Amino acid sequence: MSFILNRWLSILILTLSGFGSAWAADASVVVVSVSFNAAYQEAASAVVSELKRKGISEKDVQLLTVSQLLGFPQKPVARLYVALGVEASELLAKTEFKVPVLSALLPQSGFERILLQSGRKPSAQFSALYLNQALTRQVDLIQLAMPDAHRVGVMLGSVAHPSQQMALADAVKSRGLVLVSHVLAPEESIFTGLKSLLDESDVILALPDPQIYNSNSIQNILLSSFRAQIPMVAFSPAYVRAGALLAVYSTPGQIGKQAGEMVFEVLQGRPLSSPQYPGEFTISVNDQVARSLGFKLEAEVLSERLLRLEKRR
Amino acid sequence: MKPFGIRERMLLAALLPVTLVAILLSGVLLVGRVGDINDAHFQRARSLARQVAIASEFGIFSINTKSLQTIAAGYLQEIDVVSVVIQDANGLLMAKAGMQAYSIPSELVSSESHWLDESTGNEIWVQPVVATQIVLDDFFESDSNTARPVQILGHVLIEISRKDVILHERQMLLAGISATMGGLLLGGFLAVRIGQSVIRPIFRVSDMVVRIGRGELSARIDVQTNDPLGDLQSVLNQMASRLERGRDELEQRILEATQELRLKKEEAETATQAKSVFLAAASHDLRQPIHALGLFVYRLAQLPHDEKTHSIIGFLQLSLKALQDLLDALMDISRFDSNTVAVNVQAFPIENLLEQLRTGLEPTALANNLDFRVRPSSHWVMSDPALLYRVLINLTSNALTYTKRGGVVVTCRLRNGCRSLRIEVWDSGIGIAQEYWQDIYKEFFQIDNLERDRHKGQGLGLSIVDRIVKLLGYQLSMISKPGCGTRFSMDVPLTSPLALNQAAPELTDMSMPSLSGLRVLVIEDDLLVANGLTSLLKSWHMEVRLADRYEESLTMVEQGFVPDALLCDYRLRGGLNGLETIQGLRLAMRTQVPACLISGDTDPEIVKAAQLTGLTLLHKPVRIDALRSVLISLTREPVKPNGTTD
Repeated sequence: MSFILNRWLSILILTLSGFGSAWAADASVVVVSVSFNAAYQEAASAVVSELKRKGISEKDVQLLTVSQLLGFPQKPVARLYVALGVEASELLAKTEFKVPVLSALLPQSGFERILLQSGRKPSAQFSALYLNQALTRQVDLIQLAMPDAHRVGVMLGSVAHPSQQMALADAVKSRGLVLVSHVLAPEESIFTGLKSLLDESDVILALPDPQIYNSNSIQNILLSSFRAQIPMVAFSPAYVRAGALLAVYSTPGQIGKQAGEMVFEVLQGRPLSSPQYPGEFTISVNDQVARSLGFKLEAEVLSERLLRLEKRR
Repeated sequence: MKPFGIRERMLLAALLPVTLVAILLSGVLLVGRVGDINDAHFQRARSLARQVAIASEFGIFSINTKSLQTIAAGYLQEIDVVSVVIQDANGLLMAKAGMQAYSIPSELVSSESHWLDESTGNEIWVQPVVATQIVLDDFFESDSNTARPVQILGHVLIEISRKDVILHERQMLLAGISATMGGLLLGGFLAVRIGQSVIRPIFRVSDMVVRIGRGELSARIDVQTNDPLGDLQSVLNQMASRLERGRDELEQRILEATQELRLKKEEAETATQAKSVFLAAASHDLRQPIHALGLFVYRLAQLPHDEKTHSIIGFLQLSLKALQDLLDALMDISRFDSNTVAVNVQAFPIENLLEQLRTGLEPTALANNLDFRVRPSSHWVMSDPALLYRVLINLTSNALTYTKRGGVVVTCRLRNGCRSLRIEVWDSGIGIAQEYWQDIYKEFFQIDNLERDRHKGQGLGLSIVDRIVKLLGYQLSMISKPGCGTRFSMDVPLTSPLALNQAAPELTDMSMPSLSGLRVLVIEDDLLVANGLTSLLKSWHMEVRLADRYEESLTMVEQGFVPDALLCDYRLRGGLNGLETIQGLRLAMRTQVPACLISGDTDPEIVKAAQLTGLTLLHKPVRIDALRSVLISLTREPVKPNGTTD
C-alpha cells in the first residue's frame, strides 16, 4: 500500500516539478524537503494526505526539494511554507518570506541552532514541529518500563544549552527521579563520561546530540551500557535495532500528519502555532536486549499506557 | 673430439623432451604453489591484522588496557605472530605482546598497510581500528544524507614471521626438484631401456658386419623374436652363409689346384733329381777317361814323332782342350751355384788387372786381326782381384770372339762423385738384338752359333760373369745394337791407394822349376788314369809309387816309402775316400805331407770339405800345366809337422 502511494507521489512530484513555475502562484502550501528519500516522502505525503482529508486540494500543495527551490529565480508565492529537515529549514530561515514557515522533521536542538544562526525568534511566522519527544514523555516511559529505575543518567554535549539542562532536571525531578548528568568536555572521550554515568545510573536516557550519539559511536556506547547491564532509552528506532532497550519516537508519517494539521489551521486563517513536540508517538522495544536485561516489555502495551498517562495529565 | 655415438644420440633424443617437460611442469607448478603459499600467507596476515583491529575496537573505545593486553597476548599465540602492538588514535601505547616493538608511522594512520622488515625478515602489518558504523537513518544527525567519515579509534600493529613461508617454499622447492629428478631418472631409465632395445640390434648388426669385414664368415647373429631389426639380421645371416659357402668352395678349389701343382712340382723335382743324378754320374764317368786321355796325349806328345803324326797329336790336344774347357766352365758354374766360392775383397790397383788382361788377350786379338786396346788407369779398387779378373777376361774374350772387324776397347772412368770406377768393355762386333738381352746370361746360349762352333766357346762365359757380378754385389749393364757393337759396364768401388806399394796379386807362377827326383805317392783306383798319371809323372823324372786304396798306400808308407807329395783320387775302392786316406796317411807319417785331391765329382760338398781341410782340389780332367803348378807349389812349401797347408 505504502509502495503504491510512494509511486503515485513520485509521479506527482515529477509532474509538479515539471510545471512548478507555471502554477506555483496558485499553490497555497509549498513543502520543501531535504530530499525525496523514503522518510521525507512519507512525511510529505502525510502532509498532503492530512490536508486532503481536511478538504485542501492537492493542487494547493507544491512539493519541492531544497535544490529545486534553489533553482528557482523567484521563490514561489504561497500562503505557507513547510520545511522538512534541518537543511530545508535552514534555507527557508535565510529567505525573507512574508508567509509563515513551519519547520518539521528536525530536532529541537537543530531548530534552536537555526534560530541562533538566522537571528529569528519562534513566532507565528517561524515555528517548528520538533522531531524529538518531550522530555516528560521520555521520563514517563522510563517510569512505565522500568519502575525500579531511579537514577536517570544523561550525557550532554559541550554545546548543550543550559536551559535544556534545566528542563531536563525539572522533568526528571517532577517524576520523582534522580538525574545523573554528565556534560562532555570538548576533548573528553565519550567513554570517560559514559563510564561515570553507567556507574551511577540505573538507566541511560539518550538525547539527540550528534557529538555524542552518531553512527560511529553508537555501537560502542550501546556495548558499554549492555556490558554494564544498564539499559538505554533512546529516541530513534535505529538505536533499538542497534541495541538500545527501547525508544520512543514519532515516525515521519506521524510528524507529517501533525504538520498537516498545523498547516490547515494556518490556511483556516489562524496563526501558526508556536514550536511544539510531536503528539503522536511510537515505541520500539529490542526484545533480545530486554530478555538479556531481564525486562518483559511490549511496545503496544507501553504505548497505550503512556498515552493513557499523558491523557490523565 | 669424437662426435656423439648412436647410443648418446638416442639417449639425448629420448631425454631432452622429458627433461624439458619435467623442468617446465615443475617450474610452473612450483611458481604456482609458491604464489599460492604467499597469497595464503598474505591473506592470513591481513586477516589476523583485521581480526586484532576488530577485537581491539571496544577495548580502545573503553580504554580497557587489560582486555587489549589479553587480545594482544592471545594473538601472539597464533603461529608466526612475533609481536602485537595496540595503540589509540593519539598514538598512545595501550597493549603490547612480543619482543619487538615497532612504532606506527604517522603517514600510515588512515589505511591498512604492511611492509617487510629487512633486518628480521618479518612482515609488519598496521591496521587502523575503525569504529563500527551503524546506519541510523534518522533526522537527528544534521548531515544524515551524507555518510559520516569513519572514526579511527586507534591502530594495531602485528609482526608476522615469514619463517614458515620460507620453510614451506623450500620444502616445495625440494619436493619440486625431487619430483623433477625422479621424473628425469625414470625418463632416463626408460630412455636407456627403450634405447637399448633399439641400439642392441643395431650393434649386433654392426658387430656382425665388422666381423664379416675381418673375414669371420662364420659369424652369425642370434636373431631374437620381437627384434626390430630381425629381418635385416636374417638377411645378413643368409648373406654370411652364402659368402662362407662361396669362400669354402673357393678354398677347396685352390686346395685342389695346389695339390695338383704340388704333385706336378714333386714330379718335376723327382725328374730333375733323377737328371742330376744321371748327369753327375755321367759327368764323373766322363771325366775319368778324359782325364786319362789328357795324360796320355800329353805323354804321347812328348815322344818323338814324324811331322804328320805330330800334327795329328796337335789336333788331338786342341780337341782335348775344348773338352777340358767345357768341363771347367761347368765346374765353375756348379761352384758359383753352390756358393762355395769365397770372396776375398782387398784394395789393389786396377792397373795390375788391366795389364794382365792386355798381356793375356793381345795374342788372340792379333790372331784375329783386331784392334785391341786397354786404357791404363791409376786408380785403386776394393774388390776380389781374382773374381774381377775372371769377369773382365770373360767379357773381353767374348768381345774378341764376336768381333769380325774393328776392335775391342777396355776403359775405366770415375763415377758417382769419385766413389766408384766404371769399367767398360766396348766392341764393334755383331751386337745383340734387344729380344736376346735377357737370354745372353743363360747357360749355353749363343747368338749366331747354331752350328755350335767350339771356337766360339761353350756359351758359358756370360753365365759365369753374371754369377760373379752378383756374388760381388755389382750391377752389370749392357747396351748393344746388332751390327754395331756391344758395351758391357759395371761400377767397382774405389779406394784410396795403400801406403805400401803392394805387388800385384800373383795369379800364376809363370816359372816352371824342375820336379825331378821328387817322390810322389799316387792313390788311384782307375787303372787307366793311374797308368796315364804314372807315365806323366815319370816323364817329369819323379819317383812314383801307385796304390789303389788306402790300405795299400799305408803299407807302402809303412814299408819305408816317404813321399814328398800325395796325389789322391777322391773316390777310392774300399771304405775310405780320398780325404780320409790323406788324413790317415798324414797321421801315419806324422807329418803334414803335401797332398792334392783329384776328383771327378763336381759335388759342392767335396769342394767344401777340401776347403775345410786345406787341401788343394783338382777336378778331372786335370790340365797338365795345372797339375804341374800344383805339384811345384806343394813341394816348395815347407812341410809342417802338424799344421795345415793353405
